[in-house]
Parts: sequence; structure tokens; C-alpha cells
Amino acid sequence: MSNKTPLDFQLNTQLGIKKFSLSEFLRDPLLVLSLFSLLIFGLFVLYSASSQSINMVFKQSIYIVIGLILMLIISRLDQSVYKSFLMHLFWVGLFLLTWVLILPAEGYEVNRWISLGFISFQPSEILRLFLPLAVISYLTRKQMNRTYKDWTVVILAISISSFLIFLQPDASTSLIVFASGLIPVFLAGFPLSVLFVSLILITALSPFIWASLKLYQQQRIISFFNPDSDPLGAGWNIAQSKTAIGSGGLTGKGYLSGTQSQLDFIPESHSDFIFSVLAEEFGFIGITLLVLLYGFILFRVFSIAFTADTEFSRLAVSSIGFIFLIYILVNMSMVVGVLPVVGVPLPLISQGGTSILVHLMAFGFVLSLKKGQTW
Amino acid sequence: MSEITSLDRENKAFRQLLERSAFLLLLISLVGGITIFQLFKLSVLDTNLYKTKSEENRIILVPVYSSRGLIKLSDEEIVVENVVSQDLTINPSKTEDLEGTIEKLGETLGFKAVDLIISKQNLKKNNKTYESFVIFENLTYEQVARYVMLKDRWPSVSLKIQLRRFNHHGPLFSHVTGYVGRVNSEELISSEGYTYLPNALIGKTGVEKFYENIFRGGLGYKTIEVDVHGKELRQLDLVSPQKADDIYLSLDKGLQSLARKELRGRKGAIVALDPNTGLIKALVSSPDFNPNVLNKTEPGNIPNILNDDQSPLFNRAISGNYPPASIIKPFIGLLGLKEKAINWNSTIEDKGIFQINGQGRRYRGWKEEGHGKVNLKKAIVESSDVFFYQLATQLTIDSISKFLKKFGFGSRTGIDLYAETKGILPDRKWKLAAIGESWFVGDTINLSIGQGYINSSPLQLAVAMSVIATRGKAYQPRVIERVGNKLINPKLLYEVALFNQNDWTKLEKAMISVTSAWNGTAYNLASFGEVTIAGKTGTAQIKSLTDDELTVKEEYEGIRVQEVNRDHALFVGYGPLPKPTITVVVIVENGESGSAIAAPIAQRLIDFYVRGNS
Repeated sequence: MSNKTPLDFQLNTQLGIKKFSLSEFLRDPLLVLSLFSLLIFGLFVLYSASSQSINMVFKQSIYIVIGLILMLIISRLDQSVYKSFLMHLFWVGLFLLTWVLILPAEGYEVNRWISLGFISFQPSEILRLFLPLAVISYLTRKQMNRTYKDWTVVILAISISSFLIFLQPDASTSLIVFASGLIPVFLAGFPLSVLFVSLILITALSPFIWASLKLYQQQRIISFFNPDSDPLGAGWNIAQSKTAIGSGGLTGKGYLSGTQSQLDFIPESHSDFIFSVLAEEFGFIGITLLVLLYGFILFRVFSIAFTADTEFSRLAVSSIGFIFLIYILVNMSMVVGVLPVVGVPLPLISQGGTSILVHLMAFGFVLSLKKGQTW
Repeated sequence: MSEITSLDRENKAFRQLLERSAFLLLLISLVGGITIFQLFKLSVLDTNLYKTKSEENRIILVPVYSSRGLIKLSDEEIVVENVVSQDLTINPSKTEDLEGTIEKLGETLGFKAVDLIISKQNLKKNNKTYESFVIFENLTYEQVARYVMLKDRWPSVSLKIQLRRFNHHGPLFSHVTGYVGRVNSEELISSEGYTYLPNALIGKTGVEKFYENIFRGGLGYKTIEVDVHGKELRQLDLVSPQKADDIYLSLDKGLQSLARKELRGRKGAIVALDPNTGLIKALVSSPDFNPNVLNKTEPGNIPNILNDDQSPLFNRAISGNYPPASIIKPFIGLLGLKEKAINWNSTIEDKGIFQINGQGRRYRGWKEEGHGKVNLKKAIVESSDVFFYQLATQLTIDSISKFLKKFGFGSRTGIDLYAETKGILPDRKWKLAAIGESWFVGDTINLSIGQGYINSSPLQLAVAMSVIATRGKAYQPRVIERVGNKLINPKLLYEVALFNQNDWTKLEKAMISVTSAWNGTAYNLASFGEVTIAGKTGTAQIKSLTDDELTVKEEYEGIRVQEVNRDHALFVGYGPLPKPTITVVVIVENGESGSAIAAPIAQRLIDFYVRGNS
């Protein structure tokens, strides 16, 4: 002990209270900082996309704050605290999904919401995060090779969840949840032979799946492959979105000056098509910056995944990374017309409380699973 | 041992995770690459295309209209102007039950049954359009107030303000000004270089139609920014339309009023024009109509006007086909002189009956006992038929037809009003085509007294008679004197040259005697007339007298019983002499006597006009 050290510091050290460190507090300051920048940027875009509605931005901010707090809390938990618990969360999710089908919240056209009076949320959004985590938790519960029974159980769980969401009816979220569940299954070493056989089977069954789709769902797919067939109908959204993105050019029309956005030509501009608003007002340069920011976040996530010290950590973090990536990709591909219109929000930017909360909670798990971090 | 296998297993699992992650990333990058390339293509490579598209989305050109030009008299008195009218329009795409809404609305605002019927007709016409259309027009202040109070009940209905046409003198100038109505699809197609709004008003008849291009003015444009619903957000640019010019009628209000009064309660037409310029001073067709009802600025029953069997919308002055009757005689006389078939001293013996070569069909004159010894002058003054029967046999239909054509018979004068008739100037070819028979001498004889196939409009007679007044010059008749400040020069239609210029003077003298000599057919005018006029009476037969056995008088008694069979009374004259400034044609349908009915009207009109201009 040096005499030069102030007394209170010595006292604290002696009492076992660590020196406050930002990197310790945030676990991964670079990741948290880039998430934070993305969220702030998102609020600005949302302000423009919502016809400059302070109210909507305020609501979104509240969700962001709650989400950040949840993220920090989760990031401080040791995986041993929740690992086995996650498995059982699946049953809660299943219960909620059944709930919305039996007792739909009033005031909504489709049965996606649960209303708790002060707040309403979509259980399917929550399941999107917890289903993969439950799957990983189940697959890594024992230190041994996975049996066919294990695979059957997780596939069954994923299928039931997706099917319940499909019944809401919400085909696109159902598809997303299905994919989110399959990613950890694939990463955990699902036998490739079974995978190929299933793929062939699905292809063979696709005509029957087509027949079971609702008319508006079929129309979306048709309009995707031939947008000019119905320029004022389903293809209109994509055409307007492309016009917005294209007219933004290299540097964009400037913040709050996008004519397509501000004059309501972009449909759902505050949620699913918020990327078009961003592209119109900030141009290709803005898009590039956004992609770089997302890229950096993903880079951090995968770095954490591949340096983590347990199999559970590695699988959970990489799955979360892939799901995040797929969200970004599906949304962007949809607004530029590369993929059909599916209702997928742009992560951390689109308006939507549940989506923000779930994504930030996911990053909470990522941070908590970083190697060498213990409480 | 077990620790080693477990470690082994973990290492294997980690390797598998890395492999499969790499595979997934590769798969995702494939779609990601396409998406990024698409983004680059949209916003960098094809950006100009999309910039244009986005501009086209939000910026639209909207035509801007001038208010319709006014119709004035030469002393700036306004005849037709624009007044504000409040209409209710409905947006069919936002209305569930169109008919029910209209009915409810009509009931609440207290519209009459007629308005409801018209409204439903509009509905049928516009059922398939997506644009708003008018359902109730010209609301009263009470109705507007009531609507505004209850308008939340009908969100798809809105109040629109439109300018409408109002004739200050009601029916007085109706056949000259005409009326306006909503533009129809034919008019929309034919209006090249000009865009009418779907509900725009366009001239339907009269000056309103003929000078539509001037009344509507220029077309301006404004560039506006709209949102996705087409709502105007702000104006970016405005090119003001060229203001429409006002049009000045050549008509004399006093003369027009008098002419209208003279024909009140009768069917007929009056045309008064200045023979030296062709400017119309009065143009009346009776019965007439109130254009304000059709313009929807005064209440009235439009179907009643349209279906009236007196056809008030029919402009008899320019579209009516009448046999010219004895009015034709001076012209036939001129031809006789020209062809040297007669001279001013040639005489015949008029015994009231004419037979070709003294045999065959008996052509009767209007005067049972005949006119005795008759030369050309006397034949005009007393209107001897037999003189002209005789003359006709010395002429041919070819030469008569050719000669009358010079005076404008059988062709339009080109007056600046629509629906002018050509009349009928028969010749051999015409008869063969129209009747399918060849020409007979009897036809020529009928033609020589303006009966038979020949037909002409009152306006044609006015122009033909003016040729005599001007010693050979015919000017195109016109109802307007200037457009804005631009005076319109008289246009010479044609000139008739006579071999002997004295013939004009001698003919005029004969026609003066018609109204002033004791034996003139219109000698009755001498008792009250203020100025000397030259003229010719005519009595056009509707039913030809065919029965050889009956006397003229006896046969007439039978025909007169029904009013529609009675003769038309005609008079064409000009004055004051020696320097005529006005030619007047008066036709009174079923008026029976040109001298007793038509001639006094013409004299009073000329007197009035001369009094006003001296």
C-alpha cells in the first residue's frame, strides 16, 4: 500500500469493493456504444418517418430506456442463473400464444396482442427470443452427444410455436419464429442428412402450403414476383418504397425533406418501411453508414460468441447474432424488392415497443455470456 | 478418461459451430449481396429515374381558368355576366348508398321533386366515375345555412362555389346570347388545346357557343405539390391565364325590345340589320325562353322548355325555313330585265288566271278578278301573280336558280350564330335528288311567286333585300360589333352587278310605292309611317290551293278554320330613303296577311330605329 493512495480508496479496496470501471459496467463498451448510437439515430429517423410525431418518438424512447435497463440487468446475470430456467420459459411462451388465440385483446383486428391494461405486447415477438434460447438450453443441458430424441423434442417445440402464430394469423412472424428456432438447431449440429430429406419434403409439399395461404398472403407473393401486375395494389408499396430509396440518390434529400416520406407516399413508413425513409433522406451514404454500424455490432456479437467459454454461450450468442442479421436482411431485402413483403421491422429502428425490448434483452444475454465476465 | 472425451466432444462441437456459422454467413451474404447491389443500383445507378418518379408523384400541373368574358352592349351595358352560385357535390367513391344519400339530402334541405329528378339523372350519368359531381345546384341562402349546420351527416358531400351566367334582360336577347351548360364528352374531345374540367360550363347555343373560344379566355397553369391523397399542399408556380375578352353585341336594345313586344303571343321572327355593314340590330324569334333557367341562375323547369311543342329554343330567325312568297318577285323581275324577257314598259293583261299557252292547268292569282293591265312596277306594287307566271315561262329554272344564288338564296350567310339554315334553292338536280322527279314548268311558275320548293330563312331575306338597298353589296350579318377593344370590320359577302344600274333605282321606286302608293299592298303604312320605306309584302301559303272548281275565297274559308293552316305573313323592307340604314324582315307565322300584320310591325321598327339614330 502506497502512502500516496487516498484513504477512502484504500478503505474500499480493503472492503473488497472494486474500483468502478466503465468497461466492467458495460461488459462490452464498444458494443453498447454502437447500440446506443443506433438507437439515437433510429429515434431521429422515426421522428421524420412518423410525420414528425413527438408523441411516437417519446413512446419509443420510453421503451428504449426500459429495454436498456433490462439489457443491463440481464448482462449482470451469470448464465448459471438462467440457463436451466430458460427451458421452462418456453412453456410460458406457449401459454401466452394460446391465450391470444382464445382471448384476443380488444381493439385489434388480428389476435397478436396481449393487453395488460397499461401496456400491450405481442407474445410472438417475445417467443422469437426465448424459443432459440430454450432450444439451446435444452440441447446443452447435459454434456453429451445429442440423440434423435433431443432433436425431435426441439423440432416439435419450434413447430408448435410457429403453428400457433400462423393461426393468429401471422404467416410472416410464424416463418421468422420458425427460422429463429432452427438456427440454433442447425448450429448445434443437427444431422445434415435429415435436414436434406426435410428440405426435399417441404419443396414437394409447397403446393399444398400455397393452397392453405390466405388470399392476401398469396397476393403479396404474386406481387413480389410481378410488381407491375397490380401497381396500385400490393405492388404499389414496393414501387413507392423503391422510388423513395432511388430518389434519395447518393447523399439523400436531407433530413425531414424526403418528399416520398413526408407526403405519405411510403406505406407503413414508421414501422416496416422505415428504411425507405432513411434511404430517401440520407441517401446511399446514410445506408452505408447504417450497414457499417449494424456490421460492427454483429462483429462484436460474433467475437463474443466465438471466444465464449461454454457451449451454451457460444450457441446462444451466435444464434442471437444470426437472428439479428436475418432481421436486418429480410427487412432491407423487402423494402428494395429483393424479397416479398413480410412484416418484419428493422431492428432497433422501426417503431414498436415489443421489438425494441426483445432485441435489447437479447443483447443483454450476449453481454452476460461474454467470456471472463462474472458477477 | 471421461474428461478427455468431454473435452474432445466440446472441441468437435466448437469446430462444427464455426463451420456451420461460416456456411450460414455465406448463404446470408448471398442474399445480402443482392440486396446491397440493389440498393446501390436504386440510389446510385438509377437514381435519376427514381428522382423523376418521385417528382411525378408529388408535383402536378393543374389548369387555371379565366372567368368567362361578359356580353355587353355597345354602350357598355352588361347583358350577360357571371354570378356566384353554390352547389352541392358528391364523391361517389366515398358514398355507400348514392341514391339514398341524395334522397335524404334533398328531403332535409327541402328540394323540389324536379330537382330530385334532375339529381338522379346526374347520378345515372356519373355513376361510374370516381370524380365528384354536382347533385344540387344553385342553393338558396337558407339551404346553404341548413347544409352547413348538418354537414357532418354527409361526409362525402361538399359545397362548391361556381360562377354561372346571368342574363340581365332575361329572355330579351335569348336567341342571340344563347345559354351555357355542362361540357359533354363530345365537346371535351373536340376542344383541342384546351382542357375543360369535367363540370365546366361551355356555350351551348348562340353567341355563348360561337365565341366560346373568346369567352373562356386563356388557359393558365399552376404547379402544386400534393400528398398521396391528391390534396393540394402548396402552390409552387402559377402561370396566370390570359383574361377573357368581353364581347359587345351590335344589337340595339330599344329596337330589340320593341321587336320582341311586337311578336309577343305569336310565332314568328324579326331580323333587323344595317344593310351597309351587316350588323344585326334586332333578332327575335318568338316564342323565346329565359336563358337564366338553362344557366341555372333562375328557378324554372328545364324539361318544360326542352319539351315545349312551341319550340322556344328553335331560332326561327336563322333556322326557320319559310317560303319567301311574294318577296321573291322583285328578284325575278330583275332577272327578267337582265335576260331581256321584259323591260319596265312590258305589260300583260292579268285576268286573275294563268294557263301555259292558254291551256292546261289554271294558275290563279291571289286577286280573283285580276289586276288588269300590268307592267313590272305595277306587278311589284300590287303583287300580281299572273305577271310573274307569265315571266317565269319566258325564263328557265337554270337561270332563275343561278340568279337567286347571287342574292344568297340557298346558302348560309355565315352569321356568327350556330344552326343557321341554308334554306332551299331548288333546281333540276335538287329536285331529282330530293323528290326523284324531273323539273316541270309548273315548278318554275310556283317558284316565280316564292312558293313550291323554295325555302329561305328570315335572315337570308334580310340579306337579299339589303342588296337592293346598297345597290348590289351584301355584307355578312353579325351580332357582335367588337371583341374587347377590337372592332370587327364589315365583311363583304358578295356583290351583284346589274347591266343597267338604273334598274336598282326603278326597283326601289316600285317598292316605295308598295308602301306609299294608293294601290300598294302595304299602303296602310302611309297612314302612320314616319319615314319612307321601300318594301315588299308576302303571304306564304302553307296549304296549296289545288281545287280548280272552287274560287280562291271559297277554298280559303275552308283552310282558315285551323290556325296552323293559315298563311304566314311576311314583310321585308328598308329605310329611311334615300339613305337606308336598316333592313327589317318580319315573319308572323299563320299571320295570314303580309300587308295587314307583318308590314306595320316593320314600319314601326324602322320608324323607331330612325328616330333613335337621328
